[in-house]
Amino acid sequence: MSNATLDGKSISSEDAYEQAAKILQEASFPLVAGLGADVAGAQAAILLAERLRGAFDHLASRDSLTDLEVLRSAGVFVTTPNEARVRADLVLLVGPGLQSYWPGIFDRLALDKETIHGGTSKRRVLWIGPKRNEAKLDGVEIETIAATEQDLAGVLGALRARVGGRPAALAPAALKKIDAAAEALRAARFGVAVWAAAGLDPLIVEMLQGMIADLNVTTRFTGVPIGGRSGATGVLQASAWMTGFPPRTGFGRGYPEHDTWRFEASRLVDSGEADAALWISAYDGEAPPWESDDIPLITLGPPGSAPKRGLFIAVGKPGENYDAVEFAQETSSLVLRRAGAPAELPTVAEAIAAISAKFSEDLPC
Amino acid sequence: MLTRLHGGHVVDPVNGVDEIADLYFEDGRIVAPEGRAADVEHDVSGHVVMAGAIDIHSHIAGGGVNTARLLLPEAHRAHRPRPADTPLSTAGWSTFETGRLYAQMGYTTVIEPAISPHHALHAHLELADIPIIDKGFLTVLGNEDFLLAAFRDRASQESIVDYIGATLEATRAIGVKCVNAGGVDAFKQNIRHFSLDDEVPEYGLSSRQIFQKLQQAVNATKIRHPLHLHMNNLGLPGNVETALATIDASQGLPLHLAHVQFYAYGTEGKNGFSSAAAKFAEKINANKNVTVDVGQVMFSDIVTISSDVMKQFNSLPGGRPKKGVIFDGDSNGLGVVPYSYRVSDFFNAVQWAAGLELFLLCDDPMQVFFTTDHPNGAPFTTYPEVFALLMSADRRAQYCSRLPAEVLELTNLPALKREYTLYEIATMTRAAPRRLYGFEDRGQLGEGAVADIAIYKLQADRAAMFRNAAYVFKDGEFVVREGKVSHYTRGRTLRVRPEYDRQIDSRLDKYYEGLYGLPRALFEVQDAALPASARFSEVPCRH
Ligand SMILES: [Zn+2]
Repeated sequence: MSNATLDGKSISSEDAYEQAAKILQEASFPLVAGLGADVAGAQAAILLAERLRGAFDHLASRDSLTDLEVLRSAGVFVTTPNEARVRADLVLLVGPGLQSYWPGIFDRLALDKETIHGGTSKRRVLWIGPKRNEAKLDGVEIETIAATEQDLAGVLGALRARVGGRPAALAPAALKKIDAAAEALRAARFGVAVWAAAGLDPLIVEMLQGMIADLNVTTRFTGVPIGGRSGATGVLQASAWMTGFPPRTGFGRGYPEHDTWRFEASRLVDSGEADAALWISAYDGEAPPWESDDIPLITLGPPGSAPKRGLFIAVGKPGENYDAVEFAQETSSLVLRRAGAPAELPTVAEAIAAISAKFSEDLPC
Repeated sequence: MLTRLHGGHVVDPVNGVDEIADLYFEDGRIVAPEGRAADVEHDVSGHVVMAGAIDIHSHIAGGGVNTARLLLPEAHRAHRPRPADTPLSTAGWSTFETGRLYAQMGYTTVIEPAISPHHALHAHLELADIPIIDKGFLTVLGNEDFLLAAFRDRASQESIVDYIGATLEATRAIGVKCVNAGGVDAFKQNIRHFSLDDEVPEYGLSSRQIFQKLQQAVNATKIRHPLHLHMNNLGLPGNVETALATIDASQGLPLHLAHVQFYAYGTEGKNGFSSAAAKFAEKINANKNVTVDVGQVMFSDIVTISSDVMKQFNSLPGGRPKKGVIFDGDSNGLGVVPYSYRVSDFFNAVQWAAGLELFLLCDDPMQVFFTTDHPNGAPFTTYPEVFALLMSADRRAQYCSRLPAEVLELTNLPALKREYTLYEIATMTRAAPRRLYGFEDRGQLGEGAVADIAIYKLQADRAAMFRNAAYVFKDGEFVVREGKVSHYTRGRTLRVRPEYDRQIDSRLDKYYEGLYGLPRALFEVQDAALPASARFSEVPCRH
């Protein structure tokens, strides 16, 4: 059975690779996007973009860049979930939906257990702006500070001000609560803030890191970011060592140029600047975000995720259908995920190699 | 295919060669021709022929370097269109560029000195992506609970040796580094200054005790590279006293002290900051069990990448520009802070002078190693300029004329007229690294050595000479011509595999399960995680 389709109709894999190569090679500025892949898949995709003098972007770049903008402008304090697990005597959860971005969060941070290093103690857990009924965990008393998504920035701003001993314009009851939280943060031995950029305005991450820097004047405080979906952090790492830059990088002039606006996938497609697209979403078959539906499109995704239009080549799910290296949220590092359900499907890197093998000779290698 | 290089001036200190001589190689190795005629001839008259250079300490890969790339997008704008049919040959500060630029200077082996065990896989993926050169890394120990608890509980040395063996095996490293022993853990407990006799809370161990026990255990593993120590108090005025005390504590056993320029500071002068290089060099000369690398500073924009997270935190306010990353890692740390060394800055000028003084006052080039602690003191691309400074007192005088006048009063540099010879340069960058890492197959041009050969056109301008090697052969393959890479190859990653009692593995498995609730294998480097092109080569242990 073939795992490839053209406009929804089954075609042979050979034909699919052939046609994919033709589409990409004929384009004057092809886009490699989605990039929902393991590290080897991302490396193959970035090399392909370079070879074609195109551009590449990741489907969760917005989230990676939210954290990166803070890094680039001011710097950050970060730790690993495991260091937080063994040492954090205070955990500050920031923003709604953390469990949806990282289902294993509470288990990994062992919020219900005592710290092990730097002294044993019960942890204090604060959560600013959880969703309704979200801040519940057996055996843990989570202190909440209510904030809607709209007022999260204001509440965090007030907290930062009070941590620094500056005034905050709040009603007395609210101020009392914020002051108590500020006092708890200052009293922490090794405090850890946890946030997911996916749910937050960049301003909030900046404010949070600013507060962490302030806290480090007198105590130790740091943070655990929850990375973007579909392998975003691992792809970011590979992109950085290969090109010096994060995704949203183009090779049109023959060398890598990074521009978060110019090389954003939707803009490139909808403006017509990109004239062919390879969309990779191997983890879950997420669809492209752009509106245009006349760009020649090749999709690499798990079986069953074929779009109605364009060329589709099924690939395995990284770390599930094949052994794959990816960024592990639970360790904050690149790890090997052994396939739990091996399948006779190409890896992302193999699919890209098969396409590349069909290029005519006049492309540089 | 037998290749002959003829007419060149061969400088090969390991074999005592310093003369015009022919050199033959075949199948990637130096050979004796035994009367056969060569299939290929290269006339290298007017050139100096050396073994490929070996960099013993350069931060070229891993989470810290990659964080620096992301922190400083402005630092590595690419500028040249792709010249050759080669992937990513134009990327800025990338893995690819690292291999290309090193090869063009005649370097064929580079050791990354600071990889946290839990981030070993990341480092190996980057190393595998660096073309041409061979590479390896040191894994960082000395601040992790497992080890500190073992020292506290007076565990046997055998068990520590086993632990080191298991860690080297899991990380595929070439040696062990220790950074601010105990200080990284102490920083997590909000201690901001940590010296040789300060104790890590909870463990009751001083930095001195930790490094000494680790030094003994590393020695007992029989790996060739001694403990590679990043001492306490890096960068602080008066820290030469820490360095001298550390040498006094070195037990007569092999010990490598990293980037010692950053510890060559006294407290004289109105700024309370002076060069103490003379005193330090005297101590080094008198203690042959100790080796040092310099970590020369050059006036340029750089970024500091260090596992000494306490020091990096303290450096944040002085960052140029003011930003940085402070990472409290698993039983480890990392700080990345940009900086700019300026010739007009009093402190920077003292640092620059102190490094050169150390080079010139340490007598034995087998004991003092050539580094800039890339990129902490200067980018590795400044090496040719540093070679030129070592080889010319006039060139140094020209630099000195640009320094703030008060600096010259606080260093002995102008009085030092020593000029390194090519033979001494080759000793420092080939023969000495060969011995330091126990390489049997490189750093020399004797029969049987790998045919890693760097050939420089003799020029009065030594910087120009070393900047663009005329020819470089890697494993006998012609890879650089006239200072440009002509052919890309894949190098190997060098590692050690000392014997150890495997029973430690089950103890460690239990430890990981108990502490993290995770299998230790998650942190191990496994073949399936590496690209098919990744090749390893084992460096033998002492017999
Ligand atoms: Zn270093």
